[in-house]
Amino acid sequence: MKLLTRTSRSYIYVSVVVFIISGLIFFNILHDIFKRQLDETLIEEQLLIEQTINYSDSVPDFRLVFGHMIDVTILNAPQSKAGYIRDTLMYDDNLGTFASFRHLFAENTSIRNKGYTINIYKPLRDSEKLIAEIVISLALVFICLLLILVVVNYFITRRVWIPFYRILQNLSQYDVNLASPLEVTKTDIYEFVLLNQAFEKMSKKIRLDFMNLKEFNENAAHELQTPLAIIKSKLELLIQKENLDENQLQLVSAVFEATTRMSKLIQGLLLISKIENNQFIQTEEVDLGFMLDKTIGHFEEMIRHRGITVSKDYQQAALPRMNPVLAEIFITNLISNAIRHNINQGRIDLLVQYNSITITNTGQVLKTDPHNLFERFRKSENLPDSVGLGLSIVQKIAILYKIRVEYLHHEGLHTLMVTFQ
Amino acid sequence: MKVLLIEDEKELSNSISDYLQNENYLCETVFDFVQAIEKINLYHYDCIIVDISLPDGSGLNLIRILKENKSETGIIIISARNSLDDKITGLEIGADDYLTKPFHLPELNARIKSIIRRRNFGGVNEISFNDIQVLPDQMEVSVKGQPLALTKKEYDLFVFFLANRDRVLTREAIAEHLWGDEMDMADSFDFIYTHIKNLRKKIIEKGGEDYIKTIYGMGYKFTDQ
Repeated sequence: MKLLTRTSRSYIYVSVVVFIISGLIFFNILHDIFKRQLDETLIEEQLLIEQTINYSDSVPDFRLVFGHMIDVTILNAPQSKAGYIRDTLMYDDNLGTFASFRHLFAENTSIRNKGYTINIYKPLRDSEKLIAEIVISLALVFICLLLILVVVNYFITRRVWIPFYRILQNLSQYDVNLASPLEVTKTDIYEFVLLNQAFEKMSKKIRLDFMNLKEFNENAAHELQTPLAIIKSKLELLIQKENLDENQLQLVSAVFEATTRMSKLIQGLLLISKIENNQFIQTEEVDLGFMLDKTIGHFEEMIRHRGITVSKDYQQAALPRMNPVLAEIFITNLISNAIRHNINQGRIDLLVQYNSITITNTGQVLKTDPHNLFERFRKSENLPDSVGLGLSIVQKIAILYKIRVEYLHHEGLHTLMVTFQ
Repeated sequence: MKVLLIEDEKELSNSISDYLQNENYLCETVFDFVQAIEKINLYHYDCIIVDISLPDGSGLNLIRILKENKSETGIIIISARNSLDDKITGLEIGADDYLTKPFHLPELNARIKSIIRRRNFGGVNEISFNDIQVLPDQMEVSVKGQPLALTKKEYDLFVFFLANRDRVLTREAIAEHLWGDEMDMADSFDFIYTHIKNLRKKIIEKGGEDYIKTIYGMGYKFTDQ
């Protein structure tokens, strides 16, 4: 939910609740005021009637005077003083239905010792109508006010938050790999200025750390090559010695293999970091079919040795724009992967279309989760000596050129489908 | 044959010169740019092996100076940076070859031999060993005068052996020579075994002697001793 929607919604909810409660209170107060006023009039009328009774013992037709229902009865026996005012429901001749009335009842004894009762009925209709009108007009005013507030709030908030969204956009576009610093958004709102400053500081720090780390990694890898070269060269001199026995040769051989693996590992990691650092800038149209043929040729004897049959189906030329060195590494890794994980007397099928190449090879059923296939140092159980960076490099190159690499497996057939944009 | 080795890492320099001296090269070593300039101005070398990153200058500049002097010397760059740019620049300004550290000594040796052979304009470009003859320009091999039909890789392997006679060649060095660093070592070893088996068979079929000795658990050695 957007911040703006959230605030507007809460705003409306609270306003409506406040309005309903205050409306009810207001309605009650208004109702009381009207009732009190009505009661005062009723008492005035009662006093006037009592005056008249005391004066003459006769009952004039008050209905004509006051214009509503008044019923006065003169009794011969004196009455004790009593009375009340209350709401009542009565048949209204004018309306032809039952309606609410305010009813005053009083009984007393006049000066001349005659009892009387007074009943005055005053319709509540008018005051109720008035209250309703007041409440409705008030509600209208309130709704208008609320609408205006919400709209004004919406626009103000939207304006106020513009720099925030710009900062957010700049942040999401920020790439620590690119040299360009985080773009600074101009704003005069204090909080956003602070936010800007914090992000700017943070991005500079991240970039610096990142660069240092990258530099360190690369330097470390390069510097490691020299001692490795020394170890290797010394070992090579050592094995030329005539007086080494078989056991000693075995030991040297193990050291030699480990050293070779280590230098391959470093080379692989360096390559990955170079790809990640986008150090292969120059691109050209690369004919992948041609490159597949070249790679197959390179491994031809190994393919023959393992009795693998290669079948090609080049439907259209695939010519993506890539760095030629990376394209070669990409294809070589895919093909050597297809050879390495193949079975003797197996098969490799190559399919080239204008926007994709598909490499299918026979092989043993994968024991690991195919999702982990592209992870670094993911090795096959059958080939524990491999470095385990091949497919990881493939994936890095794929990410660089927005190439989709999909792995499918079906009954001993492993398919890697590579789709270009 | 005179070789100048310009490498600031003393131990690596020792190893290389040690290996090359056994090949009957006269190997001189210098450890920095200034010494190297002195040497190349004073003497003639058949081949110069130069490290790009020297403490007091770039090996690339040394190559430029050599080329300005119209030197015919063969040049091999050795570098810890597997950088394509360095490689392209190096080869463009006149280097003959480029090797990335860490490399195998037999590989360096084979490349030096190939360069010196190519520069030997007057003489016949030929490698011979007892009853074996190789014509590198034609990529032809003959045993006792009979031509030997070899595949490209078998030929490469054979020439690699000939360049490193009487030396133990590890399987790693052979694999890297044949396939570069693209190959994972693990799966190429038993393929090398088959390759060598075929090579032996072909030579013996032509009445040649089996010069390839297996060094158990380590590699192979081409020798007539």
